[in-house]
Amino acid sequence: MSSIRIVLADDHTVMRSGLRLLLERQPNLQVVGEAADGIEAVALAGEKKPHVVVMDIAMPHLNGVEATRQIVTRCPDTAVVILSMHSDESYVIRSLKAGARAYLLKDSAEADLIAAIHAITEGKSFFSPGVRRILKEDYMHKMAERDAEDSYELLTNREREILQLVAEGKSNKDVANLLNLSLYTVETHRTHILRKLNLHSVPELILYAVRKGIIS
Amino acid sequence: MLRIPTGGRSLLLAGFGGLLVLMLLAGADALLVLRQVRSSDALERDLYLARSRALDRVRAGIYQSAIVIRDFLLAGDAETAAAQLQKWNSIRRGTEAALAECAATLDPAESAPLRDLQSEVMVYWKQVESVSQIPEAVRRSPGASYRLSSKIVQRRMAMLDLVDRVDQLSIRQLTDGDVKLNATFERLRLRVTLMLGATVSLGLLLAAFTIRRTLHLESELKKRYEEGVRARQELKELSASLVSAQEQERRAISRELHDEVGQSLSALLMEAGNAAASVPPDSAEVRRHVESIKKLAEASVNVIRNMTLLLRPSMLDDFGLVPALEWQAREVSKRTGLRVQVAAGETSGELPDEHRTCIYRVVQEALHNCARHAQARSVRVVVRQEPSRIVLSVTDDGRGFDARRVRGLGLVGMAERVNNLGGAFQVDSHPGAGTTVAVELPIAS
Repeated sequence: MSSIRIVLADDHTVMRSGLRLLLERQPNLQVVGEAADGIEAVALAGEKKPHVVVMDIAMPHLNGVEATRQIVTRCPDTAVVILSMHSDESYVIRSLKAGARAYLLKDSAEADLIAAIHAITEGKSFFSPGVRRILKEDYMHKMAERDAEDSYELLTNREREILQLVAEGKSNKDVANLLNLSLYTVETHRTHILRKLNLHSVPELILYAVRKGIIS
Repeated sequence: MLRIPTGGRSLLLAGFGGLLVLMLLAGADALLVLRQVRSSDALERDLYLARSRALDRVRAGIYQSAIVIRDFLLAGDAETAAAQLQKWNSIRRGTEAALAECAATLDPAESAPLRDLQSEVMVYWKQVESVSQIPEAVRRSPGASYRLSSKIVQRRMAMLDLVDRVDQLSIRQLTDGDVKLNATFERLRLRVTLMLGATVSLGLLLAAFTIRRTLHLESELKKRYEEGVRARQELKELSASLVSAQEQERRAISRELHDEVGQSLSALLMEAGNAAASVPPDSAEVRRHVESIKKLAEASVNVIRNMTLLLRPSMLDDFGLVPALEWQAREVSKRTGLRVQVAAGETSGELPDEHRTCIYRVVQEALHNCARHAQARSVRVVVRQEPSRIVLSVTDDGRGFDARRVRGLGLVGMAERVNNLGGAFQVDSHPGAGTTVAVELPIAS
């Protein structure tokens, strides 16, 4: 198996060298470049075509969310892992909307980064347990506060299956193959799911799944 | 420094008092003189009339005495002659009384003609007397009566002349009285003119002084007012710069904590992980220490994260107003159980930093009030951005308060922030009817 090529983007040298040390201890991971800000990260991603960019959010010149958006647009084969100190959902949802596939908190990087990189190279999403907990708590709190009926109950079993697969990063075609359904049927289900849950995009759906604890 | 000339005030009072007294005195004086003039004029005329009447009596006496003497001379018998003589005596007494009366009312210094008249009358009387003593035989001699009476008539003519002169004298005295009266009037006029002049001059002086003083006070007042306005302006600028300095400070500390301390701790955590990975499997002691380091660093990272968010939420700078407000709403809900609903259209990224900060801080303070004082169950935060302004309202269902009387609760600080940006701040609350904080900020296009 060929090694996974990684670019690190963080304005802290100590952080980058720590990450490099951590990643290069793994036999199949290879750090091919380091960027100290968002602009460098975008340039380096274009140049090195890495499989994964490990991205901090708070960086000078261009922040990690914007850099992620540009990298995902320019290099569709590159997946972005956000590694941030921010645990609030506004950061998570914006990172997801920008195209990030995993969101990790820095205090759990050492434990989760390797798993996250493997997950996203397999096309899945990954979130730090800390992030998952916070999102879930917020969600539960909001539901309790609104006395709202849990819209998850409105989904059929088939829809729940599809929700999980989509949230894990599977494309419509993958889902259709896995469940032996036509592409058209999968698309119809997806539309229903979004409407029932009052969601508007796949990132929101992923976030929802994380909150509900459907994916990890 | 404002110097109010307090000496000037008593001077002014004294001046105005003096002016008033002067005017009263002048009026009283003029009235008094006028009354004197009128009464002396009347007296003068009464005297003149009396004199005229007396002179008329003198004149009549002289005529009558001549007639009586003629009758006496022509009397046929002694009895008639005696009667005529007696009549003449009574005329003489009456005439002398009239003369005395006349003399009493004439100025002695100018009564020479009267004295002449008196002595002439005396002579006349004597002549008549001598005629009366002429023996009857002589009297009756032919032509004697004519000769005698013509002598008396001559004398009479001279006397009447004198009477006329006395009359003229009397008239002159009356005229003199008029002249004196005129002189008195003239003096009065002069006096009144002088008084008037003095009053007007004093008045002008007072007016000049008053105007000068008023102008001075006015300019002092204006200076004071301008000072006040400037001070208020400076205070406002100071407060604005204080607010912005505080905000800058918070942001700097927050960034510093997050970017430097937080990141270093994260790096420390990472290195601790790396260290743990390189610890030989048999040194459990070292591994325990490294784990403990990781725990401590993790806790510190959390502390730093919370601190930075409390100081100034990074989403305010990273994503803008609405995400920051939503985060704030979630935090308040989690912390206090208050139901916070944020209804906000997308605000443009171009919203100036001060405006974002202002709205965010006002909401923060308002939510704080809702949780702490209002005993509210739910709050609704509405933000709407329009091309030239941004409108915010925070409405709770709490117990409310009397907005006209209560000025605490950080309302002053909120109003200050809003005013610094030229916006309008309004609190609408009534006991039992909840509270609405409304803000409208203009956005420079």
